[in-house]
Amino acid sequence: MTPFVADVLIPVGKIAAVVLFPMVMVVVMIWLERRVVALMQLRLGPNRVGWQGLLQPVADAVKLFFKEDIRQRGADRLLFALSPVLVMFSSLLAFFFMPLGAPVRVGSTTLTLWVAESPVGLLIVLGLSSISIFGIIFGGWAANSKYPLMGALRSVVQILSYEIPLGLAVLTVAFAARSMDLVEIVRRQEASGVWYGFLMPVSLVIFWISAVAETNRAPFDLPEAESELVAGYHTEYSGMRFAYFYMAEYAHMVLVSSLVVNLFFGGWLPPFPSVAALAFLGLVPGFVWYLVKIMFFLYLYVWIRATFPRYRFDSLIRLVWKWLIPLALANLLVVALARFLR
Amino acid sequence: MSRVGRFLRSVFLADILRGLAVTLRLYFSRKVTVEFPEKVQAPAERFRGLLRLHRDENGEPLCIACKACQRACGQNCFDIEGKKEEGAKVMRPTKFDWKLDRCSFCGLCVEVCPTNAIRHSHEFLLTGARKEALFFRLDGMYLTGEALQDHLCGGCRRDR
Repeated sequence: MTPFVADVLIPVGKIAAVVLFPMVMVVVMIWLERRVVALMQLRLGPNRVGWQGLLQPVADAVKLFFKEDIRQRGADRLLFALSPVLVMFSSLLAFFFMPLGAPVRVGSTTLTLWVAESPVGLLIVLGLSSISIFGIIFGGWAANSKYPLMGALRSVVQILSYEIPLGLAVLTVAFAARSMDLVEIVRRQEASGVWYGFLMPVSLVIFWISAVAETNRAPFDLPEAESELVAGYHTEYSGMRFAYFYMAEYAHMVLVSSLVVNLFFGGWLPPFPSVAALAFLGLVPGFVWYLVKIMFFLYLYVWIRATFPRYRFDSLIRLVWKWLIPLALANLLVVALARFLR
Repeated sequence: MSRVGRFLRSVFLADILRGLAVTLRLYFSRKVTVEFPEKVQAPAERFRGLLRLHRDENGEPLCIACKACQRACGQNCFDIEGKKEEGAKVMRPTKFDWKLDRCSFCGLCVEVCPTNAIRHSHEFLLTGARKEALFFRLDGMYLTGEALQDHLCGGCRRDR
C-alpha cells in the first residue's frame, strides 16, 4: 500500500464516512419517527414521497432550504448564527471516537471502523455531547425572546441534573472494563463473554433514562414543550438554521444509541458467542450487528415518545435528585465493591 | 394495593412496560386512515352536499317557484322567477339561479321547501378552476354525477 493511500485516502474516507453515517441515520430517523408514531396512533403517517414515504425528510429539507431566514430585532448576531452549528458539530464530532464495527481485513492491512481511538474516548464523547447544551443555551438567549429563554433555562437545569446519574452509570462500565477506551470496552465484553447490559442492568436503566433526558426527548422534552413554550429554545429559528437544530436532535439520538450499544450491548459483537449452534451469527459483519442494535434503541426512543406524556418540571427534577442519583450512587458502590473483591 | 407493592411496581418499571405494551399492540392493529384519492369513504346519510333540484316520477319538475327557499336563505344564494303557463295547475320556475360561492350548506332551503324539490346531494368534490362554475342556472341545478363535475371542473386536472 502506498503512503498516499494509507496516510491521506483512508483517513479522509473514514472521516467522510463517519460524518455521512449519522446524517443518513438522521434522515432514516425522521422518517421512522413520523411513521412509527403515526402507526401507534392508528394513523398511517407520511407514505407518499418515495417508497413508503422514505423521501419525506428530503422533501422537508428542500422546503426548509427555501424558507426565509428570520432574525429577531435585538438578537445577538454571532451567537444566534453560532448555536445551531455548535449543536450539530458537537454530536457529529463525537462519532469520531465511536467504534462502528469490527476491524476489517483488506488484503494485508486492517481497516479500523473508527477514526480515533483514545484512552479517554468515553470522557471525550460525554464532554462533546455536553457541549451541545451550550448551543441550546446560546440559541435560547441570543434570540432575544421570552419562550426561547425559558426553554434554555429549563434545559440547563435538566441537562446539568441528568448528567450526574449518566456519569455515575458510565463510571460503573469503566470500572467493569478497567478502561475509558470505547474500543477497549467492547473488546473486554468480548473477552468476558457477557455484555455489561446483562451484568449491570441497573446501570443500563439509569443510563438510558438519563440519556433520554440528555437528548431532550419525550417524556423529558421540557425545553421544547410545545404546549407551554411554542418550541422552546428554537422558537425564533427558521429555515436551514431550524433544520440544523432539528437534525442535531436526531444526530444526538444516534450518538446516544451508539453509546448504549457500545457500553452495554457489546458494540459490533454478534449475540450468543458461547452457543455453538449459533456460531454462524459471527459471519455477519460487525457493522451490521452494530446497526441492528442501534436501530433497536432508536426505535425505543420513538416508542417511548409515542407512549408517555411529558413530565411536569418539578417531577422531572424530583425523579433525578431523589431517585436516580441515590440509586446510581448505590449502584456504583455495589459495582466497585464487586470489582474490588474479585 | 399495599405501599410495598406500589413501591416494587415503580422500581421494576411495571407500569412503564405496560404502557409500552399498549402502544405496541396499537402499532400492529388496523389503522383508521382512509387514503383519500384512491379510496373514497361514502358520505353519511344526512351529509349536506351540493343542492340539487329534483323531478317527480313522471319527469315533471317538483319546483313550483314559491320562492320559500329564497326567503329562507340567509346568504341570498337564490334568484328565482316563476310563471304559470296557460292551463297549467301550478307555477314553474323560468329562472333559478343558485350561487355556490355564497352557500354555507345550512339546509334552511331544504327544510322550507313545500314540495321537497330542493335537496342536498352527497356531492362533496367542489373544487374548480373557474369562478363562473360556481354559478348554477335552472338547467344546471338538475345536473348530477359526472355531468355536475364537468360543470364544476371542466378541463381541470383533478381526478373525478
